[in-house]
Amino acid sequence: MTSAAGPNATILEGVGQTVLVLSGKGGVGKSTVTVQLASALRAAGHSVGVLDIDLCGPSIPRMLGLEGRDVLTTPQGKWVPVYVDEDQRFSVISLAFFLDSKSDAVIWRGPKKNAMIKQLLTSIMWNVDYLIIDTPPGTSDEHISVMENLRSAAVLGAVVVTTPQMMAVGDVARELTFCRRTGINILGVLENMAGFVCPNCSECSNILATGGGEQLAVKAGVPFLGRVPIDPMLALCSEKGENYLVKCSSSPAAATFQALVTTLTSQSDNQMEVEK
Amino acid sequence: MTSQAGDIEDIAVQECPSNMDDAGKAEVCVGCPGRELCLEGNKPDPDQKIIDTRLRAIKHKILVLSGKGGVGKSSLAVMIAQLLASNGKSVGVLDVDVCGPSIPLMMGVADQPVLDSQWGWKPVVSPSSNIKTLSVGSLLASGSQAVVWRGPRKTSLIRRMVKDTLWGRLDYLIVDTPPGTSDEHLSIVKLLAHTHPEGAIIVTSPQKLATGVVSREIRFCQKLGIPILGLVENMSGFRCPCCSEVSDVFSSGGGEYLSVKYGVPLLGTVPLEPQLTAAHETGSNFLVQLPPHSPTVERVREIVVTLQAKVEGN
Repeated sequence: MTSAAGPNATILEGVGQTVLVLSGKGGVGKSTVTVQLASALRAAGHSVGVLDIDLCGPSIPRMLGLEGRDVLTTPQGKWVPVYVDEDQRFSVISLAFFLDSKSDAVIWRGPKKNAMIKQLLTSIMWNVDYLIIDTPPGTSDEHISVMENLRSAAVLGAVVVTTPQMMAVGDVARELTFCRRTGINILGVLENMAGFVCPNCSECSNILATGGGEQLAVKAGVPFLGRVPIDPMLALCSEKGENYLVKCSSSPAAATFQALVTTLTSQSDNQMEVEK
Repeated sequence: MTSQAGDIEDIAVQECPSNMDDAGKAEVCVGCPGRELCLEGNKPDPDQKIIDTRLRAIKHKILVLSGKGGVGKSSLAVMIAQLLASNGKSVGVLDVDVCGPSIPLMMGVADQPVLDSQWGWKPVVSPSSNIKTLSVGSLLASGSQAVVWRGPRKTSLIRRMVKDTLWGRLDYLIVDTPPGTSDEHLSIVKLLAHTHPEGAIIVTSPQKLATGVVSREIRFCQKLGIPILGLVENMSGFRCPCCSEVSDVFSSGGGEYLSVKYGVPLLGTVPLEPQLTAAHETGSNFLVQLPPHSPTVERVREIVVTLQAKVEGN
């Protein structure tokens, strides 16, 4: 470890812009949003990387059909990310790649997680326009470590994911407070699992209540990035590691993700102009 | 592959010692930046006696666990507690989810603070079901206040919650946990170890994706020697209120798959129910809010019957 993450190691070398995907609550679809966002950015012609820092429950590799792949190491002790596509414009790093078995439990206390995250941020050979960082639920060690280490990197901001219930909204409000306190730019709130259209009769049921995300965005004064309805096809694609945006390109969920990419890239362009 | 690569992989694959007595002392801990902290937390606990006395007054202690977030740990913890209470048991719910406590809202005690008494923190009593609850949410001043804490601080708060709470005599204490297998889990397991908790209920949702994460939790229990009372598959199918067609919103079969794979009993499957969300959000008792013939109520009732037979039979 000492070899790879020296004191002067650069944070996220080779990354154009970084986007964080956050949520105070678990199971709202952070990883799903990460994967779909990355695929959409890739489809828009950018090169993308995904960094999964959920150490205790990494699910990105499964969603991209990359289970069982190994991470290669360069002679300099850097890790080469796993490539999703043949032309190497979509790459992924997850702790799952370093574990022997699918069911291995990572029982780590905070300090050890912090060391691992520091290492993941400094010793990977990225070469991407956009890096999406998928986080575990909560506002704890992983998040503090990432925020601390990202100060010197180009961070576009955070996409905060919620589900429509008041319960989730409460947790996510705490996440927004966290972003403000650590000074991270909030790109906006995305409401996932918003309504379910019955495949039989097309009746739309709001299984998990409705509108929570938009209300939260208005209340907190941050942009509302859109709604992603529950789509069993999306769950299926995530499980099989298939590309949902290609398979169901005309679905409402796909439209939301494409709009999100437009928002992100335009913000990114603005920011670059300012910097020039 | 160079020798450096070997080092890196070792660090990634090796785990913190599962036996808490070895924390900071084992071979893997050499060179770990958290070693000092682990060693510090590893002295014999001077308050263990007080903790044990408090916990011995509680007959059955049950953990609700899941590696994955948002599968309904809190929801299920609340439903089981409310059913047990309606069966005439005295029940307490301890919420050790420090960063995302949702129990206070579900129990309808969101605006009630925990009072300090001569004998310790007095848990807040839910008005809808007479259940004693303690959660970080009740210890915070505002709902949107973020608890941005690193592990050691969370550990010490959980310790205080166990040591300083005046539960009194209880039949059941249901412990709701955050997702994952980290500080909170190790802490609560260690604190309860002396007084032998009955075991853990593991919650999963039907997707294969969730089962991957949940199987890590099963391994966690096996490693730490916590008996697994059973699995519950939540969010299992949705009956369209318009045409009664049942859709597997989150695919299906995850609970059964895990149950067979790890030889753990499947306690039951609980379908999605929009009215349940409403009941939780208003903090009311789901037994009152939902129609009595609702499949969700029936399934949870079956689960609690099995659970009681298991726990009280011994």
